[in-house]
Order: sequence, then structure tokens, then C-alpha cells
Amino acid sequence: MSHTQDKSTIMRQGVLIFIYLGVLTALEFFIAIAFENVPLLVLVALVKGGLVLYYYMHVYRLNENDGSDPHSLAYKTGTNRLGLWLFLLSDAFVFGGLMVARVNLLGMTRPHLNQTLGLAVTAVLLISSFFMNRGETAMAHGDRKGFLLNTSITLVLALAFLLGVVAVEWPTASHERLTPASGVAGAVFYMMTGMHAFHVLTGVLFLIVILRNGARGVYTAEKHWAVEAAAVYWHFVDVVWIFFYPALYLIGAAIQLAA
Amino acid sequence: MKNVHPVLRGLLMLVVGALVGYGVGLFLDYAVQSGFFANATELRFNAPVPGLFSLLIGATMFFFGLVGYRGVTRGLVFQVVGTLAGGLLVTGIRASMGLSLWGGFLFTEPAWVLGGLVGALAFLVGVGAVTDWWKWALGEPTSEHHHDEPGFEKYFGVSLDHKVIGVQYTVVALLLISVGGLFALIFRTELAASQLQFLTTSFKLFDQNGLQMYNSLMSLHGMIMIVSILLGIAGIMNYVVPLLLGAQDMAFPRMNAFSFWIAVPAAVLLLASLFLGGFDTGWTGYPPLSARAPVGMQMFFLGVFVAGWSSILGGLNIIATSLRMRARGMIAFRMPILVWASVATSLISLTATQLIGLSFQLVMFQRLFGMGFFDPDKGGNPVLFQHLFWFYSHPAVYVFVLPGLGVISELLPVFVRKPLFGYKWVAMSSLGIALVGFMVWAHHMFTSGMNEYLRVPFMYSTLLVAVPTGVKFFSWVATIWKGKIRTPTPMLFVLGGIVVFLMGGLSGPPNATVSTDLHLHDTYFIVGHFHDTIFGGFVFPFFAAIYYWFPKATGRRMSEFWGKVHFWLMTPSFFILTLGMMRIGLLGMRRRIADYDPTMGFDFTHLILTVTGYLIGVSVLIFIINFFHSMKNGEKAEGNLWESRSPEWLVPSPMPLENYEHEFEVVGEPYDYGLAGSRYVKFANEK
Repeated sequence: MSHTQDKSTIMRQGVLIFIYLGVLTALEFFIAIAFENVPLLVLVALVKGGLVLYYYMHVYRLNENDGSDPHSLAYKTGTNRLGLWLFLLSDAFVFGGLMVARVNLLGMTRPHLNQTLGLAVTAVLLISSFFMNRGETAMAHGDRKGFLLNTSITLVLALAFLLGVVAVEWPTASHERLTPASGVAGAVFYMMTGMHAFHVLTGVLFLIVILRNGARGVYTAEKHWAVEAAAVYWHFVDVVWIFFYPALYLIGAAIQLAA
Repeated sequence: MKNVHPVLRGLLMLVVGALVGYGVGLFLDYAVQSGFFANATELRFNAPVPGLFSLLIGATMFFFGLVGYRGVTRGLVFQVVGTLAGGLLVTGIRASMGLSLWGGFLFTEPAWVLGGLVGALAFLVGVGAVTDWWKWALGEPTSEHHHDEPGFEKYFGVSLDHKVIGVQYTVVALLLISVGGLFALIFRTELAASQLQFLTTSFKLFDQNGLQMYNSLMSLHGMIMIVSILLGIAGIMNYVVPLLLGAQDMAFPRMNAFSFWIAVPAAVLLLASLFLGGFDTGWTGYPPLSARAPVGMQMFFLGVFVAGWSSILGGLNIIATSLRMRARGMIAFRMPILVWASVATSLISLTATQLIGLSFQLVMFQRLFGMGFFDPDKGGNPVLFQHLFWFYSHPAVYVFVLPGLGVISELLPVFVRKPLFGYKWVAMSSLGIALVGFMVWAHHMFTSGMNEYLRVPFMYSTLLVAVPTGVKFFSWVATIWKGKIRTPTPMLFVLGGIVVFLMGGLSGPPNATVSTDLHLHDTYFIVGHFHDTIFGGFVFPFFAAIYYWFPKATGRRMSEFWGKVHFWLMTPSFFILTLGMMRIGLLGMRRRIADYDPTMGFDFTHLILTVTGYLIGVSVLIFIINFFHSMKNGEKAEGNLWESRSPEWLVPSPMPLENYEHEFEVVGEPYDYGLAGSRYVKFANEK
């Protein structure tokens, strides 16, 4: 793998992208409460998703020239990378299908949810992506300590997100009579957050694996495909939420369920 | 027992296992039905649970007799134990919640669903398909090259060799074709005359009466055949694509093995649906009917969901292999047509398959948790299911036929000794069909009550598919034109495939055109059309491919005589079958029903259809006997039997473990047959 940029440049870039993402999320929230302009919300989500895809998931690496020797490590890593991205493409169709279901069933309405909680878990996931990027960059430059520290923070934030959705948001919603069986809004809400939470859970397992192996010194600056894969997967989970968050919390008029 | 032939040993064990399983099932069923012996009830000899246990334990013991406690045997043991453990876990949770513990078929529905899922995952652990990944997660090294022991046992356990996996896929596909075909023969027999003959209301098996059994068999015929087709194309692609590319193996050998092995518990789940009360929706599983069908419905959904992963990951592997593992000099427009077709097929199965998985999952959750996606009472929309479902299930037919059409283009030049006409156009046409195929799904829904303005665009996009398909036909006809045609068995099936697929193609536009489809929808015309496309696009080329590459895999060839008997028995029978279906379909014969009005005058045609159905069954039986018999006793064929230019035929058969001893470089066009001095590949040890 070629790293033309030095570590501090990439780290600085990571901070910058994180600031952009934070500002865009605030803007998104503001647009939703001030104008309810759906095309604008979609545009903001697309920009956020694009930033993560490019700067955190490094989609351009698919295009990297990895030499002509098919037995070299660089070439095999390139093949692995292609396989991972194909898998993400496939997985995106599940989330796309859920999005289609949401648009078809709810249209310009949305379930009534706790906005503070929604914004909080969204922020937690974005911050986790920021630390994941730092962790991967550290490993790519052979900084094992930095990798372990940043990835541990990612893991903690990941668990916070998971608990925030499953252990706080779900009971809060069902307390307000939004249950899986209460109607189609509840069905869509629990299905979308549940499918996403399942992916978060698998991402958490990958994070645990790379932390454990990283602590035992399995990865080096040259050879750390598992770290890259777990990081890209983690950012993918973030990208999905970038689209699910406005779809569930911001777009359309909230339906108040009758008491 | 040591001296007994392994197959005989397996069959003996099968009988023992089936009897033991039946007894255990009978006991469990009695225990639950009698409230754990509190109330006297009768033994239910035709109940679901004894049947299911008989199947599971019988199959497990069969493989135990055949290869001992390893590979697939271990997998099945794990699956049975996993299913019971998962079921008991849910039963335990239900006990703590004060819910009912036992259902009519031992477990309750949620317990069967989780049990089925845990069982499928346990199978993968038991068979050893995830062992290497587990080691990776623990940071332990695994060996890069996997060496199989010689002998037939390697086919019954996890092998990373794409050639072994290709054979595994193919054999399981043949097994499932036999099962699906058997189901068809059973309900075809009922249809031979009007009125109900044996699947009557007094018939009772697995908690179904005759009509329900008809529905279950008809529905399962569809889905088991679909899975067998997916495995069949995977078998051909797995075996052949890396050889055509000059690769040592697939890009991801472990995932390749995983893709195959996950299809086995999926097949078990699908079969289990027949035992657990069956289901009556047809293979499409539309709600609201599927939202209240028996537990078998859930096993069906779960089986398709699990089988879908086989298709998704298999497709991923083919794409990655074709993009990354090509021999030197093999630029895109020098790739064999079969590789183009495989990539096109895999693009669909990689992406669209998720949508059938999702749609089935949503119905499963609607049943389990009352999530009202498709329940109008809760604001749900049943038509949404049809959109999600057909978004996969229409492109799926291109998944089925594209590799077969690729096989036709691949073999035709070999047997007419001429270059393939319009190579580039044929190469692009596969991708064209795949891409257009994503935009046509709603032509299945002209009568569904979807928005009317959607009808015409979907009609035109569907008719557009005829353009890239026409390109293929034009190329085939022009390739055959003035060729030096030879007709060994594979070529017969290629030619048969072309003609049958033409019939399928020509009977398509009437269904795509809204005005005629409103009349033809849900009639036997559709059934006839569909079988024509699938036989022409899959079954004939699949047989052609097996006859053609069999010597490559075994070093022996299949009997020409019996191959020709197979062809000349199957082809005319099949023509009569589908033309007869289309005839009565036009006259108003509804599909998916067990009985029809004698005054409609369909009796004689239906009788003919049943007879031809049996003749096709006999021809496939001849093929299967020929297949297994020729493995050991076929005529030796170790050289370039078909005088092909393709690299895999330029090395001796059977193919060595590491494929090519010397790497090759592509130096010319792939199909320049009959052009003096032209060559396609040059091996590293050649001048």
C-alpha cells in the first residue's frame, strides 16, 4: 500500500472532514425544523455520505495501481478490497430496499420520536467514525499505541450508539405507544433501526477482533488488511445512518399516536 | 460393515436412520399432543414431526454410512442439534413470559424459525466452512494451499479447490432437480384427469389434506427448481471460469466453499417446509396469504433467505475472480463469452438477491412480531411486497439463463469450426440483458392493482430485452451458417437449447404486452412460456456443459449412445409439454390449481402433458445413471476430445490440482476456429 501523504496531514484532514460532517449535521437539523425542505435534506445527506466514502472509506483506493504480480501482497490486498466493496454494494441494496419501504409506506410522514436522542446517537456515531479513521491511519503508519487508543474509543462509542438505540430509544418509543405491532410507522421504525443495529453489532465484533489481534501485535504498517476492512465496514455503517437519520427523524410530518 | 460398498452401507444406514427418526418423532409428537402423557391421545402416524425426523436422521445416517462422521455428516448432526437447541431456547423464553410452549408440530412458530436459523448456522460450523475464518479472528495462521486427500470422500467435506466445489454444486443441483421433478410428477399425475383422484380431501399427511399437499408440492417444485438452477449455474461457473481465466483458484476460496455449503442447510430448510404443514402460496409467497399460511411458510422463507447468501457470495466471488485473476494478455475483449455471461449473471445475483431476502424477511417479521408492512389493517401495503419481490425475481430469470446462453456461445464455435459471429456484440449483450433486466420487474404486476401509469413504461422496457437477446440469436445463426457442423451429444443439447429458447423468447412478448397479458396472466400459457425459457436457457445448456466438460473433470467421457437417447427422448417430449401448456393456457386453463372443469375439454391434453412429463423424468434418470456410471466406467478421454482452442483442453484431463503447470498468455482471439495459423493462448513452456 502506498502512502504518499504523511501521517499528520492525514490526521489533520480527518479533523477537517469531521468538522464538515458536524456542521452539515447541524445544518440538516436546522433545515428540518426551519423549512422542511426535503430535496435539500437529501442533498446534505448525499454530501455527508460522499465525504465519508471518499475521505474515511478511501473509495479511490479501488483505483490504485497495485502492480502486476498477482502473488504480491499489494495485489492480494487489492483483490480483498474489491471483494469488500462488492459486499458493501450488495448490503446497500438491503438498506435501499428498506428506504423504498419507508417511502412507500410512510410517504411524507414520520414516526414521532425523541429528537434529542436521535441527534445524540447520530453525533456519537459520527464521532466514532472520526476515531476509527485516526485508528486506521495510526496502524497504517505503524503506530500501534495510537491504533489501540483510537480504536478503543471507537468501540466505546459504538457500544454507546448500540445501547442508545436499543436500550434507550426503543423503550422510549414504545413507552409512547410506538411498538413493532402498533402500526406501519412502528414496523418501519423498528425494522430500519433494527437492521442497522444488527450491522452495528457485527461491526462491534470486528472492532473487538482487531483490537485483540492488534494488542497481540498481529498487524504491521505493511500488513493490516483486517484493520482496513473493519474500518471501512464501520464507516459504511455510519454512511447508512447518515441516510436513515433524516429518513426517520427529519423528513415529513410527525404522526402523533392516539392515546 | 468394512467390506460393504459405501453406497450400500449408506443406504442401509438410511433405512435405519429413517426408522429411528420416525420412532423418535412419533414419541415426541405423542408426548406433546398428550400434554406430556397427561391425556390419552392417539399416535399420529402421518403427523409432521415423525416425517421430519425421519428425513433428517435418515439423511444424516446415510452420509454416516457413506463417509463416516466427518464433513457433511457432522454438519447435519450439528444442524439437527442446533435446530432443537434454538427451538428449546425460544420455548424457554416463552416459558418465562408465560406464553404457550408447544405448537401443533412440537415447537411453536417462533421456536421453529429461530431453531431453523440456528440449525443452518450450526451446519456451517459442523461441516467446517467457518473454521479458517475463526482462526483468522483469533489471529492464527492458516495454510494458503489446501490439499485434498484422493478418493471420493473429499467431495463430502469442505474443500477449497474450485474444481471440487464445482462438482459438489453440480451434484447437489442434480439431486435437487430430481426432487423438484419428482414433486412435479406427483401433482402432474393428479392433473392427468379432471376431478380429484388421489390428492383428495380425505388424503391426510403432514397435517395437510390432498389439496393442501398439491399446493405445497406445486409451490416447492418452483422454489426447489430455482435453487437447483442457482446451484447448477454456480457449478458450471465454479468449475469452468477459473480454468478459462488461467487462474489457480477463485479469488476467495474459503468464501467459495462457504457459498456452497450454506446452500445445503438451505435445501434442508426448504424440504422441511413440506413436512411442517406445507404452504399454499406458490413460490412467490405473496402476502396476505403468506401472512397466515402454516409454519411451513416460515421454513420456506428461511430456506430461500439462506440459499440467497449462497448466490450473493458466489456472485461476488465470480466478479472478483474475473476482474483480478485473468491470465496475461486477457484484455476484456479477449475474455471467453462464458466469463462475460458469468460476470453479468453475478452482478444481478450480488445485488438484487438482497431484495427477495428482504421481502421474505419482512413477511417473516410480520408473522412473528405483528409488524404490519403488508397488512392493510395497520396501514401496510401488499403491493409493496410484490415490488420488492419482483425486483429480484424478475432479474433472477436472467441469472438462470445468462450462463446457459454463455455456454451456447462458448460451445457453438467448437462444433461448427467457425469463429463466433460478432464476438464483441455477444459479449456486451449479456451485460445489456442484465442491465435492462433491472428495469422490467413490474410486468409481473399488470393485474396487481399497482398504479396504472406504470404499466406502459414497464411494457416497453420488457420488450427492450428482446434486443440484446436478438443479438445472441443473430450471432448463433450466423455462426452456424455454412459451418462444418458436428453433432456429438453436447452439440445436440446446444442446438436444442437454441430452438427451445427461441420458443420461450417468442412466447414472451404476448405476456409483456399489457393488453394481451390481462388475458394471459395466471394461465398455463405463462407456465409454458416460463418452462421454455428455463429449459432453453438453463436445462439444455446445463446438460450440454456437463457432457462437454465431464471428461475434463474425470478423464472419461459419458456414453454417447445414452446421451443421444437422453436428448431424443427429452426434446420431443418437452416440445409437446410446453406447447400443450400454452394451448390450454390460451383457452383459459388457470395455473396453480389442482382440478379443472371437465366440460372445458382439457382432459386429453392434460393426459398427454402428464405422459410427456414422465418421459422427461425417464430421460433425466437415464442421464443421471449415465453420469454416475461414466465416472468409473466411461471411455477414457484424456486429450483434447472436442478439438477446442480453449486453454483447459490444451492440458491433459483430468485437470491437475493446481490447474495449469505452466501459466499461459493470451495472444489472439478466443474463437478463431478454422483460421490458419491463429492461436488463442501460448503456454510459458512453448516457443
